[in-house]
Amino acid sequence: MEDLANAAIRKALDLGADYVEARIQTDVENTYTMKNGVPDSFQIARMFGIGVRVLVDGALSFASTDRLTIQEAKQTAENAYNMAKSSSHLVKNPVKLSAEKTIVKEWETKATNPPENVSPEEKFDLLADIERALSPNEVRVELPSRYLTLSHDMQEKFYSNSEGTRIRGKVPRISLWFFLTGSKPSKGTLQRWMHVGESGGWEAVKEWDPPRLVSDEAKVLGRVLEEGVAPPKGEIDLVLGSEVVGIICHESCGHPQEADRILGREAAQAGESYLQPNNIGMRIGSDHVTVVDDPTLPKSFGHYLYDDEGVQARERVLIDKGVVASFLQNRETAAELGVASNGAARAVAYSREPMIRMANTYMKPGDFNSDELFEGMKSGVYIKTFMEWNIDDKRFNQRYVGLEAYLIQDGEMGKPVRNPTLELTTPTLYGSVDAVSKNLDFQAATCGKGDPQQGAPVWTGGPEIRVRHLRLGGGPQT
Amino acid sequence: MTPDEIATLIVALGEKLGATDVSTVIIEEKKQMLRFSNNSITVLQAWNTITPVIYLAMGPRRTGCVIEDPTLAAISSTVEALIKTMRLMKPGDVDSKLPRGPFTYHTIQGNYDARVSRSTEKLTDAVETSINSGLDAGAKRVSGVLAATEWKRTLMTSTGNAGKERGTLLELTVRAFLDAESSGQGVSCSTTFQDFNPRTAGTEAGQIAKMATKPIQGDEGVYQVVFGPSLMANLLDTAAMSASAYAVEIGMSYFADRVGQKVASDKFTLTDDQQFPGGPGAHAFDDEGYPTNPTSIVENGVLKTLLHSSYTAKKFNAELTGHGYYSGSSGIVPSPSNLVATAGDYSKEEMFREVTDGIYITNNWYTRFQNYHTGDFSTICRDGIFKISNGEITASLKDLRISDNMPRILQSINGISKERQWMKWWEVDIPILLSYFLVDKVRITRSTK
Repeated sequence: MEDLANAAIRKALDLGADYVEARIQTDVENTYTMKNGVPDSFQIARMFGIGVRVLVDGALSFASTDRLTIQEAKQTAENAYNMAKSSSHLVKNPVKLSAEKTIVKEWETKATNPPENVSPEEKFDLLADIERALSPNEVRVELPSRYLTLSHDMQEKFYSNSEGTRIRGKVPRISLWFFLTGSKPSKGTLQRWMHVGESGGWEAVKEWDPPRLVSDEAKVLGRVLEEGVAPPKGEIDLVLGSEVVGIICHESCGHPQEADRILGREAAQAGESYLQPNNIGMRIGSDHVTVVDDPTLPKSFGHYLYDDEGVQARERVLIDKGVVASFLQNRETAAELGVASNGAARAVAYSREPMIRMANTYMKPGDFNSDELFEGMKSGVYIKTFMEWNIDDKRFNQRYVGLEAYLIQDGEMGKPVRNPTLELTTPTLYGSVDAVSKNLDFQAATCGKGDPQQGAPVWTGGPEIRVRHLRLGGGPQT
Repeated sequence: MTPDEIATLIVALGEKLGATDVSTVIIEEKKQMLRFSNNSITVLQAWNTITPVIYLAMGPRRTGCVIEDPTLAAISSTVEALIKTMRLMKPGDVDSKLPRGPFTYHTIQGNYDARVSRSTEKLTDAVETSINSGLDAGAKRVSGVLAATEWKRTLMTSTGNAGKERGTLLELTVRAFLDAESSGQGVSCSTTFQDFNPRTAGTEAGQIAKMATKPIQGDEGVYQVVFGPSLMANLLDTAAMSASAYAVEIGMSYFADRVGQKVASDKFTLTDDQQFPGGPGAHAFDDEGYPTNPTSIVENGVLKTLLHSSYTAKKFNAELTGHGYYSGSSGIVPSPSNLVATAGDYSKEEMFREVTDGIYITNNWYTRFQNYHTGDFSTICRDGIFKISNGEITASLKDLRISDNMPRILQSINGISKERQWMKWWEVDIPILLSYFLVDKVRITRSTK
């Protein structure tokens, strides 16, 4: 592999490139699917190739191929060089890269029990065990549609650049994704999807206890269908569960603090940001709010130790006690903003350019016990999980529609609430937080960005939080 | 190995190892992409891939793969792994068979332009034209993406089907900004340079951005809304996906049990016309080797059929429709490919004159369903949003969301324009030829604080 990368780098340098990097990457994913109680399919996605990125007279280009020969590697480097050269006259803002340390390293996340060593029968048996746990007698709700997928993948990269950095990395990931439709006569339907995932092996699946996990979610569908009441009107207090806090941190903190959005590079697709480059130090939330992104978390779904520009990963504090503390940076944005990269460049396949991505974004836990969040709440709602969500492309106006949610009356949990809808702005949301629990939990997600789209594995997470004096919005007409 | 050699190898290997059905499509793709922002090119990208997509069945057991590594070793080991796993799987619910050929395939007209893959210079010129057009129309900053693709498909199945086709595609999205709150989008999507118009896309983006200046907060409520083609394309993609029989099976469809019923306004007809000349998603055959035909999904408001692959056709006891396409980790499932929404009889101006107190929404993003079965969803208005009073645009609005129900929106279509354009961009996966739509009683929400 090193020969191919060296040949590509040498070729582009010989042609006159100012900077070259080559990444040889393999991704092999196996997916087992069970649909409505029967095995549906087994699928393999195998991607193996080389991506070459060059910088020529301030023009950046990226080319890739899935044919791994010396000749093809050189040709790919030449294609990248020619594209950059031919367009440099249209580059009005020449790209520069921040100076970073040269690194020679190997790193690997090891699975205790590699999924490859577990038979396909056992994997389908696990899905069948979940199905058995979803029998109507067990969960007390009809589930006319049940879709279960179990996936494991291995990602291996060899990264090399013209500055002398050489990094080999390897990470296995495993995840379970399910989608249930619950139905009760005269009560309609409710749906739930959920994604759990880690970097690691089959040992993670055992810890999740999938039959219990999925059947618990099904029981919730039944209870909300059977007993759910309309959300209260007027100004109330809310407690938001870890799953909701996780998506909030991802959407309205992680994304707007990606420096490439702030500088406008993603304007035509994923959008820009409500933040400007000079907003470091601006208060955006209460003192209780500290949000970080940390690729180095062991076992995390978004785990890596070196990014795809050869920069060491680290925890990034995005909001510190309510104040915007830093942005996610790659070498391009770091150079433009006069800072160092903080290792946020990721590419999901050999054929994708590295770009700024989150890894594991979460709110730091506080000092409260969960029970204490509810104490003193006269009237409110606890939103534990969500179904629908979205946010505008500046990451300012967002919406979360609760799925598992309960009325709170005088500090006590009451009946389930159906479709409570939070629709509010980022500063209102973070500014309303007045208590944060000691607990910390994570959920897996696939974050979309880039063109072509790159679905990056991430964790979202956080503690439970209490937000004060908010009004629930309207749900759709049905 | 050539694509023919790869296809022959896959079918022979699959059969030798015990598969009862084998199909493969070898996709060759040469693609260039130019991304630009702040009036400047930010990155150029190029891809050169040969990708086998494989389907294998052993009676009622189904597997498949995609391999971006077209070597003998990778293909052989992957096929062996699929067969080995299939032998250990419990049977599925249906023993479907691939369609048995040979079939005669239609030749798609106007979907190839040899100039598309040859010239980076022509592409940089197009980017420059679109940027300048946006600026000339009044924008201060222009961003966007231009992709040029040349593709070939080589099909072979164990059931006597073989075919080849090729095409080209130009996709340009231009987004223009006057300031942080005023933006507009223009799109040009075509299979040839003849119908590709970067100037029009840039001008439209710039004009919308200019009109969107100094927006005021819009009010929540129920309004008559003019849906721009980009917004409606995103929503009609969800309608076409809902027509997939596989989506019905897994609970991700608002068309379950609705075939033969009224699901939309009489005015609305949606066809997946995979033979449409110059259609960006037109194909002669699907990934199972079944010949395509224009498929009427909704005709004058009535849901005529679901879309099928060989598996779902057997399961639903229905006719094949030629929609079996590889779709990631689900393998081959029915998927729409080249949508055409029938034009109406309004001019755009006449449509606006129908609106007494309403809103014109040019674009959207981030559509998410609260319940796919009922069709409850929301989507965020993006770029220009305008208040319409007595047929005239009277204000630029901001920060609004459509929070409604898709079946209700389809039923409430009250007008469709004559003019149509192809739409395909980051938020519209399946290309669609469509118009402006006038929809009654659309529920609009906003942040409560």
